[in-house]
Amino acid sequence: MSNPIWEAVESRKSKTADDIFKALKNVPIFSELNPREMNEIEKIIHRREYKKGEPIFRMGDPGLGMYIIIKGLVNIVEEDEAGNTTTLAVLKDGAFFGDLALLDEAPRSASAIADDDSDILGFFRPDFLDLLYRKSKLGIKILFSLAKIIGERLRRTNEQLAVLKKK
Amino acid sequence: MDNYSYQLYSQILKLFWRVFLAIFGIAALIVIFPFVKSVVVMFVIALLLAMLLNPAVDFMESRGINRGLAIVITMLLILGAIAFTVSLIIPGIISAVESLTSKLQSDVITDINKRVEEFFAVNFNNAELARNVTSKVNEFGLKLLSNMAEFFKSVGSFLASVAIVPFLTFFIIKDMRIFKRSLIAHIPNKYFEMSLNILQKVGNQVSKYIQGQATDAFIVGCLSVLGLFIINLVFDNPVSQFVFIGMIAGVANLIPYLGPIVGAVPALLITIISNPPNLGIVLLWIVITFVLVQVIDNSFVSPMVVSKSVNMHPLTVVVVVIIGGNLAGAVGMLFAVPVTGIIKVTSAEVLWGLKNYKLK
Repeated sequence: MSNPIWEAVESRKSKTADDIFKALKNVPIFSELNPREMNEIEKIIHRREYKKGEPIFRMGDPGLGMYIIIKGLVNIVEEDEAGNTTTLAVLKDGAFFGDLALLDEAPRSASAIADDDSDILGFFRPDFLDLLYRKSKLGIKILFSLAKIIGERLRRTNEQLAVLKKK
Repeated sequence: MDNYSYQLYSQILKLFWRVFLAIFGIAALIVIFPFVKSVVVMFVIALLLAMLLNPAVDFMESRGINRGLAIVITMLLILGAIAFTVSLIIPGIISAVESLTSKLQSDVITDINKRVEEFFAVNFNNAELARNVTSKVNEFGLKLLSNMAEFFKSVGSFLASVAIVPFLTFFIIKDMRIFKRSLIAHIPNKYFEMSLNILQKVGNQVSKYIQGQATDAFIVGCLSVLGLFIINLVFDNPVSQFVFIGMIAGVANLIPYLGPIVGAVPALLITIISNPPNLGIVLLWIVITFVLVQVIDNSFVSPMVVSKSVNMHPLTVVVVVIIGGNLAGAVGMLFAVPVTGIIKVTSAEVLWGLKNYKLK
């Protein structure tokens, strides 16, 4: 006999897992992973909920890892010493930020503030390094994707620099 | 009630509840602790063991072995090694204890009684007093023996509790990440990154420290066994059960400053009781051996394998060992320094986090 309470719990659980899978699939770092590998990632990510105006991290904090927005809005903001802020970007569902912190603990170059009630996934360096050791094949796949993204960013920066130099 | 009064009222109420809960929590801990003491001790031992064995499990997992299976293999290997060592040592210890007991009964106690009676007969010409004194000595001996029986009884219950430790260790290693994630899930967003970072750093430092201590204890144990083995070769076996004594020295080395002395005492005692012909020289060589082991440990082994972040003042060591002894007996004394090391590392990392994260 089916139990309605248990069914409700199960359906909520699978819906949550679906949300996470969808969000992860949209992130280039994880896009090439198979379902089994995705399962491993799901085990080590942290899901957090932020209220509007709540900081996710602050500029100058030691970098710890990247975040993926499942639902919500996040402002990437630069703060000066006087406390004035400049919004550098507004990120929406499916966007990710802070990925360079997967590589080292350098201070965050900007703050991330929730601009709306947001549902966010966190993937952090200590867990990534642990995964890299325990499941090196999977770790290398992620590392390679991360390198491709950083390479692409560098190429774009070089192009913009070249355009600026010509001017 | 105006808005300001209402806010003040709610703040006072909040503060009252916090203070009440803190006092209630501390009181509850004090009341509950004696009942849960053994469980806490078992959990701490299992946690330390999990940190010690985790690298081996991670290594096997990295070689493609399923994590659960890797834990079982690691624990079976460790339990097998312990069982093998115990099976080698126990029969020897039993025979040594038997021979010591008969020696003590036949020689030492009779000898003491005889000498006391002679002493009183010569000096006070009072045989009655002499008999009283000897009966007191015998009573004291009996009391000592019954205390020893109590001690062995407590060791027995300790061994029974120890049987649960492998199960606890298994689940801690298997689900360590799930525990950590569940723990961190309840932390407010403001402190989330800082807590995660601190938890990770503390975990790394503590497991390095425990692995270092274990390696150090193992090397000191081996060096002590080797030293005593050489003494036995040169002086015709004055130190029986040298493997067991060496192992005690290794384990005792977990307690800095006090450990080396505790480690040397059994070797000296056994030698004194077995009373070899050149007792003085053998004792001197035993002392030299243990000093040499300590010199090697302090100059080469310890700096290489034990984390420097948990250096402790001798006075701190003495105080925490006494507190550990009061809280959980011999086991408490043994684990007092590692647990204090963990608290020290944790405090340092928390301070680092508070300094480096913007929490306002």
